[in-house]
This record gives sequence, structure tokens and C-alpha cells, in this order.
Amino acid sequence: MTEPSPRAAVVDWAAQIAEDLDFAAARAHLAENPGRKAAGYLPVYAPREIVRAAGMLPVGVHGGGDRLEIIRGDAFYQSYICHLPRSVIELAQSGRLDFLSAVLFPATCDVIRNLSGTWQLVSPEVYVRYLDLPQGGASELAAEFWKEELGVLAADLGRIAGRAVTGDSLREAIAAYNAVRSLIRELYRVRRETPWRVPSEELYLLLRAGETVPLEAFVERARAYLAAVEADAGRVRDKARVVVVGAFCEPPPIGLIKTVERAGCSIVDDDFLLGNRMIDGDVPLDGDPLGALARAFVGRAVRNSTLYEADPEGKRRLIGERVAAARADGVIFASASFCDPALLDRPMLRAGAEAACIPCIAFQFAENTGQFQQFREQAGTFADAIKLWGGE
Amino acid sequence: MSAAVTAGIDVGSSAVKAAVVRIEEEGGETLLGRGLARVRKREVAEVVAEAFDAAVAEAGVDGLDYVATTGEGEETPFATGHFYGMTAHARGALFLEPRARAVLDVGALHARAISMDARGKVLGYKMTSQCASGSGQFLENIARYLGVAASEVGALSIGAQKPEAVSSICAVLAETDVINMVSRGLSAADILRGIHESMAGRFARLLQSLGAEGVVFVSGGLAADDGLAAALEGALKAGAARGAKPVELERHVLSPWSGAIGAAIWGAFRRRRAGMEGFAWTAKERSRA
Repeated sequence: MTEPSPRAAVVDWAAQIAEDLDFAAARAHLAENPGRKAAGYLPVYAPREIVRAAGMLPVGVHGGGDRLEIIRGDAFYQSYICHLPRSVIELAQSGRLDFLSAVLFPATCDVIRNLSGTWQLVSPEVYVRYLDLPQGGASELAAEFWKEELGVLAADLGRIAGRAVTGDSLREAIAAYNAVRSLIRELYRVRRETPWRVPSEELYLLLRAGETVPLEAFVERARAYLAAVEADAGRVRDKARVVVVGAFCEPPPIGLIKTVERAGCSIVDDDFLLGNRMIDGDVPLDGDPLGALARAFVGRAVRNSTLYEADPEGKRRLIGERVAAARADGVIFASASFCDPALLDRPMLRAGAEAACIPCIAFQFAENTGQFQQFREQAGTFADAIKLWGGE
Repeated sequence: MSAAVTAGIDVGSSAVKAAVVRIEEEGGETLLGRGLARVRKREVAEVVAEAFDAAVAEAGVDGLDYVATTGEGEETPFATGHFYGMTAHARGALFLEPRARAVLDVGALHARAISMDARGKVLGYKMTSQCASGSGQFLENIARYLGVAASEVGALSIGAQKPEAVSSICAVLAETDVINMVSRGLSAADILRGIHESMAGRFARLLQSLGAEGVVFVSGGLAADDGLAAALEGALKAGAARGAKPVELERHVLSPWSGAIGAAIWGAFRRRRAGMEGFAWTAKERSRA
């Protein structure tokens, strides 16, 4: 049997972890480190630096995808609620998340907020924290508020972990996540510039796995992947360059990402697993680390549908800015069904795109969507329209 | 940019068709070579290679400026780009019949009617539903059941004396109909004609719902079936008598290669449009991919 290439080895590793609904990698890490605890977090953004600084393992909880039969989860939600919370409840109720000592619920939408309450009812022994992310722009007041919230979270997690969060431990965690952010920026840059070398499916799996394992393991694999990509020029493919917008919370099934790229599109920017890139750039390491982390979010969070934007024209301009930055040919609005933030923003975003003469299509998915033919047709005809008739 | 030599590979569910086309700088196209390989439960990559190599050998070229795939060929490792099936068939139809403004593509798994403009830009389309009764695979299955070679189907159908209608919606029910017909002693010719008429009725409705008019080009593997063509002419005439727009059906001996030819021509178009000089691809490199 031949050895897999370094690149294939990383992708296999990532796929195995990303698709494992029992979180075996995280469990194994805890077993190897007696006394260490884990804190889960829901999409989109959670300050993983605080979790790490408390000595805990941050674990992204992104639902069960298309590999989990929902038996108990549906009992908690009406039919007009998205799929993610159902599979999260299913994961919890089936014991798959019983290794978590804490779970963080960011202010992504009402459903995620309410899920924090549901969690307290079904798992009262687990620490639950609703992260009331500041909205309304980069004000000093917002930074102060968020710093206080982070302080409470740090104190709580320190108590649970039995290891207080200190200035030094937080600085170390911020530096570690700065390295992660830098690596991810590099991965996105390479994909943007040479999309045939970094299939989005692989990038997605790598990032998804990275939210389950210790940071060091992700960094090691991501560097190996980058090195392998750099060593292989790959074969240039003639595809339409697209930005995928709207899948920042409930993740699309891998099959959907593959379908879009197989159909003739290259995804050159996206908002999959957006929490990884929520803070644009590095968080400063000098001065008060808690304040620096708070100010980084308040001042440099990337604009997206989970954050309030006071200027109504801002949303209309957003797609044009993203398309220009990615040198994309068009936009695919791909949102989870019943995703309020994405679907409420879509008309504004689309109007802005159309006003800027940016070709776009839109569809909806669920994390457990299993049929991709309609997406294939849409993406395929979209790619052809861009490649053959774009600019007319 | 100079003349281009490009290849198109149309990966269907029962056969892979390949074409090599030379496109002059000023736009004229010449078909240099073609290949066809049946899938027959083989690995698709193997079948693609067989069809592609045959086309390249017939063309007598050792380098290509663009290798385009269509159909199910998205993962062909040595391809430069991929075009959606309708896009490719529309352009291939224009190459084979410049007057065409609509295409009826009848393949192994489904049929679709496509309207287009004079440049081959797809303007609209209608497809048969998921049911397979309007497909080549269904017809092939029935022919096998009746012990008739695929090449004999058309002539037998045209010679039918008393065709009997079969279910026009569901392949399963249609197969049941056929079993009943056989047990009642109907001839293979009458049964095949009944199936052809059933399929033709569906295709005529597809074209009518699309609003097709003028010259309609029949592409795909079933374009070679004379019995189906005769039934389709009849169905369209009957439709016209009921007030549908009149259409003129055209077929070509190269109809099954329509998708491959169209993909190759679009490949050259993309090469020119995107300024993709230096995309030369040789058969030797393909074998390494």
C-alpha cells in the first residue's frame, strides 16, 4: 500500500475529525491530559483566547451535518426554525457532548440565544454562558462593555477549569490565536490567488477539524498543508470565481461545497466557519490583554449579517467590496433555510450586488441536505453565464 | 491570438463522446477528430481516456489548447474547464445546423429542450421529470427485453402496423405495459412504435412548452433513432394542427457528438476571451494526469 501524499494525509486527518460526531480527537486529548476540561461554543464568534487562557480546550459545536438522524432534536423546535439547533440538541441528548464542561452561546440570532436556555434545561450541570456581543459600532462604551463581559467569562471559566486566567496566560492565548488567524489568512490568500490549488472542500475540512483539536495540532497540519500546496503548482482550471455569502452559521454539507466547485465555480472567498476570521488582523499583545481582545472585536470584527450596521448603505456596499477584494466574478448567496440573519440581509446585499452589476444567484440549504442536483444546475449555468457572457 | 485546437469530452451515463475541433482566428470551426466509448460498467476514467485518445488520434494532433468537459465530466483530471450540458449542446447544435434556434437533447437518462440565440446562448430550457420513461436507457432496456438490437429499433418501429400506446409517464408502468403486450402477442415492431410515440408526445410537449419555433436540432444518442424521429415528426405535426408553433426537425450523423463539439468550441472561446495563452496540453501530459 502506498503512503498518502503529505497533502492527502492532512486532508484525510481533517476529514476524519471534521466528520466525527463523537469528537474522539477532543476526548482523546482530554484523556491524555487528566484534569483538562473542554468548553464548547456555538457559531459564529466566541473568544477562544479566554477558553485557552483558562487551560481549557475550545471545541466548536457546528451541528451534526448530514450524518446525524434527528430523533429528539425536532421535539424542541418548530418547523420554521433552522436545522442547526435540532442537531445540536440531538448531539447533546445522545451524550456526544458530555465531555464539555461549559458551552458558550454567542449572540448570533434568537435561535442560538434561546438554545442557551434550552441547554440549561436539558443539561443543568454544564456551565452555560450567553455571549452578548456588542452591537452598534466601534465605541469606547462597547469596548468597555465587552471587556467586562470577557472578564466575567474569564473568571467563570477559570473557576471551572481550576486555573485562573491571568494576564500572562491570556497574552499567550492571544499570541497563539494570532498565529492561527495568520495561517488562516494565508490559506485564504493562496486559495484566492490560485484557487485550483486549494479546493474549498479541503480548506473547509481543515478549518472545521481545527475547531475540535488543540490549537497546536491544527497549526502543525495547516502548515504542512500549506507547504504541500506551495510545492505543487497544480493544474490551472478555467472556472468562474465566486464569493459564497450567507453560510456563516449552519454549515453547508460538504457535498454542496464540492458541487459548487465541480459545477465550474471556484470559491475565492466565503463566510464558512466565520468565527475563525471574525477579527481582522492580529490582536495587540502589549498592554491590557483583556482590553485588547475586547477592542479587537469591537473595532475590527468583519462585517457580516450577525452584526448591526447603522448605515443602511453599508450593507448594500458590502458585496461590492468583498467581490473587489477577492477579484471575484460573481456571488452565490447560500444560506441555511430559516436563517434569519442571512435571509433578512439578503435583499439588501443582493440589491447592492445588482446595483453594482455583479452577477449573483441564491439558494437555500440545510446542513443535512442530501440532494445536490438543483445546486449543480444553478451553479453550472451560473458559471457558464459568467465565463461566456459575463460583462454583457 | 492564433487559431486554436481544442477538445471536448461529453461524459454521458452510457457513453463518452469526444471531439477535437480547430477554431480559426476569425471564427471558422473544423471538426478534426471524434471518438466514442461505451461505459458498459467500466470505470468512467478509463472510458474517457478511450474516447479522448480516439479523437486525438483521428485528429492527428499532439497538443491541445483547451480540454473542455461537459455532462458528468467535471472530475476529468486533465480538463481545463467544464461547461454545463445545455450550454455545450446548444453550441454543438449551431455547429451542426446553423439555422437551429432550439435543441432537443435526448440522452440515456433524460431529455431536455433548449432554446438559444444565434450565438448559442441558452435562453431557456425544459427538462423531462426524474422519471426515466423518456430516456434512451429505458428504450435500450425494452429493446433488450424484446430481443432486438439497438440498431434495429428504428427500422422496426417505422414498419409497425398497429402500434399500441404505453404509459407515457412512469418507466415502471411502461415496462408493465410492455410485458402485458408481449404476453398478448403484440409484435416487437408495434410495441417499439408505441414506445416511440409515447416518448415523442412528451418531447413535443417539452418543445411546445418552451415555445420553440423554427429549426429544432435533435442531439444526443437517440438522435440516431429513425423510429423516434418519425414519431416525433408526427407528434409535432399533430401539435401544429392543434395550434402549436410549427417547427422543423433537423438531425445530423454527428448528433451524438453535439455536446462534445460544443464544449470544444466554447473552450476555444474561453481561451480567447480570458487570454489563456500557454494552456497547451498534450496527450503525453494527459496520460500522466
